[in-house]
Amino acid sequence: MTSDQVEPSLVQEPIAKTHSVRIWDWPVRLTHWSFALLLPAMWVTADSSQWGWHMRLGHVLLALIIFRILWGLIGTDTARFSSFVKGPGALLKYLRGGYPHKQHKGHTPLGALAVLALLGLTLAQVSMGLFAGDPFDGATGPLNSLVGVGTADFLTDTHEWFYWVVFGMVGLHITAVGLYGAFQAQNLIGPMVGGTGEKALSVADNSPAPWSRALGALAVSAGLAFWVYLGVPRPI
Amino acid sequence: MARMSVPSFFAAASAFALLAACSGGAENGAEDSAADTPAEIEQRQDNFKAIGDSFKAIREQLETDAPDFAVITPAAADINERLQRLPDLFPDGTSVEAGYDTEALATIWEDPEGFAEAIENGVAASADMMAAAATGDPEAVGGQVGNLGLNGCKACHEKYRVDDE
Repeated sequence: MTSDQVEPSLVQEPIAKTHSVRIWDWPVRLTHWSFALLLPAMWVTADSSQWGWHMRLGHVLLALIIFRILWGLIGTDTARFSSFVKGPGALLKYLRGGYPHKQHKGHTPLGALAVLALLGLTLAQVSMGLFAGDPFDGATGPLNSLVGVGTADFLTDTHEWFYWVVFGMVGLHITAVGLYGAFQAQNLIGPMVGGTGEKALSVADNSPAPWSRALGALAVSAGLAFWVYLGVPRPI
Repeated sequence: MARMSVPSFFAAASAFALLAACSGGAENGAEDSAADTPAEIEQRQDNFKAIGDSFKAIREQLETDAPDFAVITPAAADINERLQRLPDLFPDGTSVEAGYDTEALATIWEDPEGFAEAIENGVAASADMMAAAATGDPEAVGGQVGNLGLNGCKACHEKYRVDDE
């Protein structure tokens, strides 16, 4: 891979030097691949009427979404919303092309939108599920009794088709990753697995992921999800 | 280092795609056999859905300050009439165990007397609901909501329908 042995005169084009940098921290990768496993599992458990598992896994999913949102506020550089959510100007500039991918690590302005859409749509779907069902007709979400019959019925019906929107966004995301790989020779999967990728020498490692902060965020999100599972009881 | 693990994740992605294809295939398979599927399965599902809608319409009215008996009375009659259709909507062997896309357990046909009794309980509870609606007293209807919901719907679901837990 190195060009050390090649005579400078034989080099046709300048070879941009790259090095391996840390891009995604372990909490980002762990939540990402957990979503990749949990979303199909939610579909399968609903399709086969395994409502006990559907609801248990739904709360795990809820905890992970809350965790990812918290981590987007207090996590590493590439995990923070403030570092990757850009305005329409940056997005238009990105869409016009010429974005120097090797000079940047982390989400592109367009990828940032995908992150927000995936998290937001999944959170909306999970939230509707918390209110879904009918106490006289099988399983109900833990917050079902907090809303009226009509509202619960509407949320149940919406929950039953909204997964198409969620999986549509997942499909768009997977397609985009494939297209970047096929047409721009960009390996987006490797860094999401191993955490590192090849970037220009000017690109520095991502900031380290402090265990204490990650475990703290995880404890808060798991606690919140468990509180929801119990039906949001008053502390007293 | 990262590049090393990429092929395995393409493999994982392919496995995922294959899984998706398989589940798609299974659905197609079910559609293919739709011709052999007794019409009663869809009829009873539509019937239960309509019962649920009427029941919810009544409960929705009871949540308002001035429950509308122009909604409650026909909904109660609709539930009663639809519950009486149930005995004809469970032809032999149309259970989830027999491979149909249904939540009806084989217990229905193993315990026909118990199932018939469960339906009768529901029909009786819905008749009580109609009587309560005829009084025009929301509290009387409210009491019958609990009776019909627990002793009619839920009691039968717990024994003869796929487990919720």
